[in-house]
Amino acid sequence: MTEEKKPRLAPGVKLRTDDKRGPVLLGPERVLELDDIALSIVQQMDGTRRISDIAQALAKEYDEKADVIRADIDSLLKDLTAKGYVKS
Amino acid sequence: MTNVPTPLGLLAELTHRCPLGCPYCSNPIDLARASTELDTKTWNSVMNEAAALGIAHVHLSGGEPLIRNDLAEITNTAHLAGLYTNLITSAVGLSDQRLTELRAAGLDHVQISFQGTSPEKTDVVAHFKGAYKAKIEAARLVVEEGLALTVNAVIHRGNVDDVSAFIDLAEELGAGRLEIAHTQYHGWAIANRSLLMPTHEQYLETRKIVDEARTRLEGTLVIDHVMPDYFADRPKACMGGWGRQVIVVTPDGRALPCHAAATIPGLVFDNVKKKPLGTIWENSDAFNRFRGTEWMPEPCKGCDRAEIDWGGCRCQALEIAGNAAATDPACSLSPDHARMKDLATQAPARPGFRFRRIGG
Repeated sequence: MTEEKKPRLAPGVKLRTDDKRGPVLLGPERVLELDDIALSIVQQMDGTRRISDIAQALAKEYDEKADVIRADIDSLLKDLTAKGYVKS
Repeated sequence: MTNVPTPLGLLAELTHRCPLGCPYCSNPIDLARASTELDTKTWNSVMNEAAALGIAHVHLSGGEPLIRNDLAEITNTAHLAGLYTNLITSAVGLSDQRLTELRAAGLDHVQISFQGTSPEKTDVVAHFKGAYKAKIEAARLVVEEGLALTVNAVIHRGNVDDVSAFIDLAEELGAGRLEIAHTQYHGWAIANRSLLMPTHEQYLETRKIVDEARTRLEGTLVIDHVMPDYFADRPKACMGGWGRQVIVVTPDGRALPCHAAATIPGLVFDNVKKKPLGTIWENSDAFNRFRGTEWMPEPCKGCDRAEIDWGGCRCQALEIAGNAAATDPACSLSPDHARMKDLATQAPARPGFRFRRIGG
């Protein structure tokens, strides 16, 4: 079933690029700095793509196996969902 | 001063005027009058300077920021400067039209205070008839508009047993975040401390309830639990550390390291009307006085928590230890720690609340 999830940023969460901090997710009283991989994943979380689509697209982009990318996505998604940055 | 950190948040106290009279208000007893408030142009400059300084969030607060009829314009300036805009409001006066206007201006998030989970309790503590109904209606509008909502509940003796009900309320309203914030004893809350303080057992029960709810509601509702210092053994990093994360700008333009800093004698505060925010942050006496660890007395100096709690709260040190440069008495290593614990069990000093009001 998790294949069908279409994650998106939670209401009130903004992806911004900040001169001092680089790419960040901003929420109420929260800021999370993103590394390059996290940024690529978050950019794909627009509520229309399934996790499997995101894994495939990034596997192509990074020339990496989809299941490796998929593991990165699952772990990031779990963390961001628990912290309230992402809904799926 | 080397290594001045980049600030994260600007707390813009746009006005001290407020329709409510909450007896735990963190504003000072000596509230700013309307005639001293900064004009729109100055607030707009402050927003641009804040963004240039690297600030990420602006908290549009007060008093009640909705009282300012230029709120949407200031919000829009902040938004265009790239700041994350958070409205901190009682929600009294947050009409559909006002909300639409603010949303169009680029408002990112709304935080609404709830004094209780019923009309009876809310209206008494807020000192405003109809407050609860207004808050519920406004909270629903916020969620219907697709804006993010935080429910803020300041906890004290009168509602400490209602934490479960606050969690249910936040969930039912569709809030993304809930603040269970035990009263912080500054300003008006000091005047009402003996009436507001819960028992230690009541506080421990709130922890149990919040911990259980966090697990149950993970991914649905984020719950931030702000602890009461009077039952602690180690201080909090007040404001994330003095001069490290937050700038407070008062309605008349003074830039402070925390809400209550003006109570500390001998500190000189620069005004945003006279100097740019970045200059104040880096060079002002008030921000540098307790920044970092060099100012620290024993036992803070050399403590392995010195850069975790940054010495705790200076205003609490002044209030309880009589010296703003002393160790925060919330720390069990402070010679004043026992006295602070005693203050938590004091008999009520007055028969009823002293409600917040200008000129009060």
